[in-house]
Amino acid sequence: MRSVRLRWLLVGGALLAVAGCATGEEWATWKAHPTHFASGEHMFFSVRNSEGSPPRVTRQDIALARDEGWWGKPITVSQEQILER
Amino acid sequence: MSVKSALAAALALACVMAAGHAVAAPPTAVPPEDRLLPVELYTTDKAKTLGATHRGALRALNATIYHCMPWVETQKHSIGFFRPKNTTGDDRYLSIRIFIEQDPSPEFARFRVEERASAMFSRYVGAMLRRMTKDPAVAADATLDGFTVILEWMKQVPRGAGDRPVHETIAIFIEKSVAVDYLAGAIPITEVAAKARVLGFDGETPLGPLRVAVWDDNFVSTFKVSNYVLEPGVTCG
Repeated sequence: MRSVRLRWLLVGGALLAVAGCATGEEWATWKAHPTHFASGEHMFFSVRNSEGSPPRVTRQDIALARDEGWWGKPITVSQEQILER
Repeated sequence: MSVKSALAAALALACVMAAGHAVAAPPTAVPPEDRLLPVELYTTDKAKTLGATHRGALRALNATIYHCMPWVETQKHSIGFFRPKNTTGDDRYLSIRIFIEQDPSPEFARFRVEERASAMFSRYVGAMLRRMTKDPAVAADATLDGFTVILEWMKQVPRGAGDRPVHETIAIFIEKSVAVDYLAGAIPITEVAAKARVLGFDGETPLGPLRVAVWDDNFVSTFKVSNYVLEPGVTCG
């Protein structure tokens, strides 16, 4: 029984520690708001820097953020209204 | 094993796992192949031949935009040799449709639609033409008639539950001779705009032809996404 508890403790501790390395509040914020458009002139992705090393943004991070932050199916012109195959 | 030593072991395991995570080869992001129109979906032999002949160039274009312009999203089946709607004959234009991701801005929204279209044209059309013709065989193909760049951005975010976002879109049709002259430096982007056909759409509603007043804009070549790291082996010229 005691060894089962210890095993859970080991796994839980490891998961917590690894999760702490990979995410954080800054990443959650960035993923929720992946883009920014300031003053009609400059677009940029807003990444809030953490205290330590600056975050690295990969193409996969952007794809994930886009999926998670999707606004919903847009009202937009269809390709068929513009082009023919 | 005491609780103390179990915690120490957990921390040690976490560090080993974290270290392994850091040294492991990062997963490679691959541009989705479905951005290209499959050759079998073209409706004429001319288009199928163009699509098959330049498949490699279209894949390279897709990859360049995917990796080097990560703030835009290429639409599904939007890269290919399409025929502009309502044209006679079988004129084939190398086309691409991109969604430009940006938060809605009150300043940008206050512009007239022609001004928003002019800003987007200035920012993206020259840059896209250069990327679409990176493989010289594309523009040199005698069966290619022109280029279409379709730019789309969010005009309005949903204002309430159940609302959908509204996109604004412009479609720019450019004859090949005009594009070739521009790419050779023989004419400025203002002349491209004067000779191009620009159609606007508010959501699904056609706005008809738009008159745009454009300028040289180096945004695409100078803008960098903060802290963006290219995939190993990828370079952006």
